[in-house]
Amino acid sequence: MDLMEKAMSSAEVRANLPEAYRRLSPDQLKQALKKMHLIRLFEEGAEDSYQRGLTYGTMHLSIGQEASAVGICAPLTDADTITSTHRGHGHCIAKGADPKKMFAEFFGKETGYCRGRGGSMHIADVKTGNLGANGIVGGGLPIAVGAALSMKLQGKDSVSICFFGDGANNEGAFHEALNMASVWKLPVVFVCENNQYGMSTSTERSTAVKNVADRAVAYSMPGVIVDGNDFAAVASASMAAVDRAKRGEGPTLIECKTYRTRGHSRSDRNRYRTKEEIEAWVQRDPIPRFEQELIGLGFLTAAEAEEIRAAAAAEIDEAYEFAKASPSPDPADVTRFVTTV
Amino acid sequence: MPVEVILPRVDMDMATGKISRWYVADGETVTKGQVLFEIETDKAAMEVDSPSAGTIRDIAASEGTDIPVGSRVAWIFAEGEAYAPPVEATAAAAAVPADTRPAPAPSQGAPVLPPERSPAPAASVTAGAGNGPAATPLARRLAREHGLELASVPGSGPRGRIQARDVLVRAEALARPAAIQSSAPAVPAPARPAAASAGGGLHREWLQRGEGVPIVLVHGFGASLDGWRSFVTGAAFDCPVLAVDLPGHGRSGPAEAWSLSALAAALEDAVRGEGVASAHFVAHSLGAAVTVTMLDELPVEARSLTLLSPAGLGPEINGAFVDGFLRASKRESLRPWLKLLFADPDEPREAFVAATLRQKADAASVAAQAALAATVFPDGTQAIDIRAVLGRLTAPVKVMFGVDDRIIPARHVQGLPGEIGVHLFSGVGHMPYLERREAVARLVREAVRSGS
Amino acid sequence: MDAPVRELSFAQAIYEALAIAMEADPRVFLMGEDIGVYGGAFQVTGDLVHRFGAERVRDTPISELGGAGVAVGAAVTGMRPVYEFQFSDFATLAMEQIVNQAAKMRYMLGGEVSVPLVFRMPCGSGTGAAAQHSQSLEAWFAHVPGLKVVEPSTPHDAKGLLLAALEDPDPVLVFEHKLLYKMKGPVPQGHYTIPIGEAATVRQGRHVTVVASAIMVHRALEAAETLAQEGIELEVIDLRSLRPIDSRTIIESVKKTTRLMSVYEGVKTLGIGAEISALIAESEAFGYLDAPIVRLGGAECPIPYNPELEKAAVPQVPDIVEAARALAGGRT
Repeated sequence: MDLMEKAMSSAEVRANLPEAYRRLSPDQLKQALKKMHLIRLFEEGAEDSYQRGLTYGTMHLSIGQEASAVGICAPLTDADTITSTHRGHGHCIAKGADPKKMFAEFFGKETGYCRGRGGSMHIADVKTGNLGANGIVGGGLPIAVGAALSMKLQGKDSVSICFFGDGANNEGAFHEALNMASVWKLPVVFVCENNQYGMSTSTERSTAVKNVADRAVAYSMPGVIVDGNDFAAVASASMAAVDRAKRGEGPTLIECKTYRTRGHSRSDRNRYRTKEEIEAWVQRDPIPRFEQELIGLGFLTAAEAEEIRAAAAAEIDEAYEFAKASPSPDPADVTRFVTTV
Repeated sequence: MPVEVILPRVDMDMATGKISRWYVADGETVTKGQVLFEIETDKAAMEVDSPSAGTIRDIAASEGTDIPVGSRVAWIFAEGEAYAPPVEATAAAAAVPADTRPAPAPSQGAPVLPPERSPAPAASVTAGAGNGPAATPLARRLAREHGLELASVPGSGPRGRIQARDVLVRAEALARPAAIQSSAPAVPAPARPAAASAGGGLHREWLQRGEGVPIVLVHGFGASLDGWRSFVTGAAFDCPVLAVDLPGHGRSGPAEAWSLSALAAALEDAVRGEGVASAHFVAHSLGAAVTVTMLDELPVEARSLTLLSPAGLGPEINGAFVDGFLRASKRESLRPWLKLLFADPDEPREAFVAATLRQKADAASVAAQAALAATVFPDGTQAIDIRAVLGRLTAPVKVMFGVDDRIIPARHVQGLPGEIGVHLFSGVGHMPYLERREAVARLVREAVRSGS
Repeated sequence: MDAPVRELSFAQAIYEALAIAMEADPRVFLMGEDIGVYGGAFQVTGDLVHRFGAERVRDTPISELGGAGVAVGAAVTGMRPVYEFQFSDFATLAMEQIVNQAAKMRYMLGGEVSVPLVFRMPCGSGTGAAAQHSQSLEAWFAHVPGLKVVEPSTPHDAKGLLLAALEDPDPVLVFEHKLLYKMKGPVPQGHYTIPIGEAATVRQGRHVTVVASAIMVHRALEAAETLAQEGIELEVIDLRSLRPIDSRTIIESVKKTTRLMSVYEGVKTLGIGAEISALIAESEAFGYLDAPIVRLGGAECPIPYNPELEKAAVPQVPDIVEAARALAGGRT
């Protein structure tokens, strides 16, 4: 093939690609890949530091769910908000947080996002529009609707993204929030990251409908099911939902089918899943999958992929060291920040 | 580079852990994800998988030994990776002994009992649960301040609880001369006349704030605390000064009974209401009789007592003045009577007349004063007598009279006990504190000093 | 020059505060069930929907948890929502958002956000609404750091405290006793605030300090009037704010009177009275106590329906008179 033919066929291929590949520049795609690496490495670093007794409290790892976090956040700007969950490290990085301040928070340091007051379950980064992880299942759902109402009342052209897990779909807050968002046609995108287990209880055993997205019909909004381990599928669904929200047509419910390859939290003994099931999902790891796809489509070379991974690793190492060296809060300040005045 | 195998933390509150069982032996080939060992926590056993594939070496932690989380327990060398025994200390060296608690003290058989105690004292103190008598916090504080043993104070509160007034009554009883004390009842809490409460809430005012034992000013018949203001202004007292409006006077409401005891109870309430249990009293005319009665009957302590033209020392009083003063309703009719109060023919000043007239505008106040006069000064006679009581007081007492007093004759000072200081001012009428301000103030300052 | 003062009802005073805040600050908006054309269950929001439109006077579905959460979300993103619970009893449905989210968000986020919102909480018994529409749960909320809890007793304070709440950067719960809505009192025109955290001594007295809030302030004042005839003087303190609580005013009063009684409608055990008693016991006023502290609170039962039972379940004027008289003992 000569160069001309090559370009032609590339354009044809592109035309048939998912929307995400058509709308995101190669640079943006590389950034997305890097964020997925950052999330994975952050989680592994977190796990390691926990096991070494360097951190306090528990944590909920999102290893295996990186494509969902990064894909959903792909079309967002800092003016768009997210509410996150107890499994929120990935959302944080996807929305643009600095791993340094995240690790510092994880280590309970004064330099952390919450000055050591929040920890893993409450990391927030208000400047990038992240209103915070949440320790309460379903806690962020009404808050996201409130943020959307706020945008509407203020005439802002922004959207509010609400991450939640499959467990939250059985909380009353889920139903109240979806209903209100729909009645008021608010710019919200509800993103259910269905990793199939609420702690140990599978969605089969807890949820009357087969798909969480099936619930959307009850609130008169589109319910979209995507492969949560496929970056492009997730990002494309997010783009469509964000566009709809900005057109004033109201909310969308996206269900990302995915899997956490680690336990619910660090005290999970994995008694409810088989090693075979876990292994099958490890084979569907979203990161190599995205990497291969980018290389296959010519957005990325293998060497570049290696560079990206190395850059992410260096950033995580630096963040880890920064956090370790940071000062702890002064116990005399324990009641600081309770109220503003 | 070999891969480290550590003892992972598997519980939030876990600082050390114990490998209950190794599934592999040193030198064995392991695959990634293969179970290496089992950790036992107080909640459950948990299996730990191999982080990588290769040969496991240098297994450092033996089964059943407590080691800190994060300690390295083995290395895994990848296929073809040269084995070199690590130089640093391994986890085993850092192992925590299974039981680091200090050895228990040698058994001493049956528990040793404390030495035999003398039996608990008989319940001589009935109130309270073994820790002294039941007393309110305020009573306890006052007892401390007065150096009193609570056990010596009879309690008049519910179930015999000792209240503040019980302490003050007791303290005063102890402060009296022995002879008097023996004649006083063991629990001298006086039954209070109903009238006392009816007048509760006497108006009073701190004319001067400050530190130390206060001076309390008590006005006479037909006057009010306002009459003290000019006196206090120039008096250079260096302590707080409280002034009270008696029932039916100034801004105080009427009383239901007008006996000296009733008035005294109302006065005590007002003084104590300001947190004053002990003071230097300066009292004028009828106020002097009320004050002396209060000091006798109620638990308020006088550090010193200055009586100006006091009532209650003899039967005579200017009945025409009392009647005329009560009847007068206008400036013209009031002024001639007020002139009788002063020796100086230029008195009273217009302001004094106007101030007195303002009180007369309050019908309730006029009626109250009439009722009072009918009780204490019936038929132009002083129906009150404080001489006996005055003799019992232990505080230093000064009595001052104007020789030219046209309301109560100065000769009433005759026959007072020798320890009472008597000061007679010539050219002065019934109002020495207005007619000889500086001299009276100096004498009060002396009284305050001597009584401190 | 002082603003003209008119007689307004408690409900009208709240209405006026809301209207003033909405006119002055476009961020202020109202949410709640039936607060629009219906005018609110107690007719507090009245015609505000016609003055400010349905966007700013927003009827919500019957979704207290969701509604409270929407208020939280709007508050952290630049608005100043006022969420009206139709009855404060229904706030139990929204405890998650009030206690876990609104109260803690600022702290959890290390001071990065404030949550400026107001929850309006109609409370109290006396309307025959029985157990699920008559509670006084203010102590529950006052137990939570991060929340501010106020409880006005007069139209004047209702307006001033609500305006203060609407200007406060933190979540404020305003408890409004339902029996007070029709009560009239002087209310200055225009804008004024009552500082959150300041009690008011509404009657001076020498013998017993009575700390009360909401409707109990009026009952305590009535009791004080009766006892004054007997020469017993009650000093009545209107608490006004439960968190932060004005301990100084109570301490100074007890130092003067040497006797303390608290009167509150919430269930007696573990209620406001316990806090008031404890703060005195821990303070320098302890040494001034000349009698045990007395708490007069709600009975240990749900609010009953029968009117006589309902009265028996919360302190009434004769209860206060009797308790205060016994407490004053031989003091006068």
